[in-house]
Amino acid sequence: MSMSINRVPISSGLLLLIFLFQEAFVNRINFFLGGFALYLAFAIAWILREERSSAVLIGFLAGLIADLSPTLEAPFGLWTFTMTGLAFLIVTYVRGSLDSNLSPLTLSVVTTIFSTIAIALFVIFGAILGQDVPSFSVIARELIGNALWSFVLAPLYIPLAIRSHKLSLSARER
Amino acid sequence: MATRGTNRARLLLVSLLVTSLLLITLDLRGVSVVSSIRGFTQSALAPFQSFGSTLISPIGQFFSDLFNLNNTRERIDELEKENQELKAQVIFNKDIEGELKQLKGVLDLAGKARFKTVSARVISKGGTATISESIVIDQGSSAGIRRDMTVIAASGLVGVVKSTTANASVVMLMSDPSFRVGVRVAGSQFMGVLSGEGQNIFSLQMLSAAADLSVGDVLLSRGSSGDAPFVPGVPVGKIVFVENATGQLTKEARVESFVDLNSIGVVSVVLDSRGSNPGDALVPAAPRPAPTITVFVTPSPNE
Repeated sequence: MSMSINRVPISSGLLLLIFLFQEAFVNRINFFLGGFALYLAFAIAWILREERSSAVLIGFLAGLIADLSPTLEAPFGLWTFTMTGLAFLIVTYVRGSLDSNLSPLTLSVVTTIFSTIAIALFVIFGAILGQDVPSFSVIARELIGNALWSFVLAPLYIPLAIRSHKLSLSARER
Repeated sequence: MATRGTNRARLLLVSLLVTSLLLITLDLRGVSVVSSIRGFTQSALAPFQSFGSTLISPIGQFFSDLFNLNNTRERIDELEKENQELKAQVIFNKDIEGELKQLKGVLDLAGKARFKTVSARVISKGGTATISESIVIDQGSSAGIRRDMTVIAASGLVGVVKSTTANASVVMLMSDPSFRVGVRVAGSQFMGVLSGEGQNIFSLQMLSAAADLSVGDVLLSRGSSGDAPFVPGVPVGKIVFVENATGQLTKEARVESFVDLNSIGVVSVVLDSRGSNPGDALVPAAPRPAPTITVFVTPSPNE
């Protein structure tokens, strides 16, 4: 089942709303140990519920929106590249080996792992493109912090991602 | 059918990856449309960030305090004694007071150096997903701010303006790994380059191995040609560790910044240094030692 073209505006709109919330509110909170990339975790939880083609497209849209962040040093398109590739890997090699009805705990764990991997890949691709990379300790702190908060706050954002996914589906797809 | 679906997904993947690589190439080649997208986003985000900053400010420390319950328990007990209305008022006043204190400090610093500045509130900062050390302030090109202007706080250097829109600017913090600033040791003319490392500790590489460095030495910005991106004489940090390796061509040290970059609320952007070089005038005063009272008691032989 390929993603209906009608889903693109509504999916982009929902992702943009979460991005706005991340930039305006979440980024202002001083989290213990690193920070929390709500937007990334939300996008990955959403991707986990999609079919292969639509997951790639959602990954692309999510990356494109993440690239809009004004505080981003990396070239425009790097998050798009990372998220598109990661979305394909998730649905091809991970989603297939999991139970078709993911339990909330599995969804939380997989989301936490892949949002952390997404940041790590972004740093690695950035380094390959010649971006300045923070010290290992700083990266490790950010990754551990993000994993911690992605897991702890999963009960808040995962239901939201599931509802957003359902909302973006047409009546026939539901 | 499954193969057709897989092939379609792979074709879509390849086309989207090529599109993203095209975007990266266009950005790296400096195509203005791509590079101005983030400026446009900043303009659109600024009102929301400003609102978010006002809303989040009193509770911004909540998640870090959660893990320091022992330290905050006393404060919580103390606050619980007060009634709800008074507590809300105290939190609000405290927030305003903190910002005023920071504003007074930064204006004092700018005034001492005779810099022409514009003050701004920090409305957002770079998130985990950006892996960059930056903040967003609520003043932009309409207040005269341009790219590559020096940004200072009450205790010294904060960073440099990276991009501006009409009502907001993105400031690269001095802790960013790509940040470099030329510095000199206060009271001498030994020069070096300070580099950001993602936290409040920085690495300093002196230009000469003969530089005489010691722990506690204060570093000031050297200034750039045309005062952009750095005006001279701004306190940057103090040396906390000197690496004494023999046979090196340069001397290296670790530096602690004067400004706590994790808790800045108000900053000033230097619009014009008016050609003034404050020299060592902005070096922070050393803390005065508190007088020690010594009481001598001589036992009386009768007792």
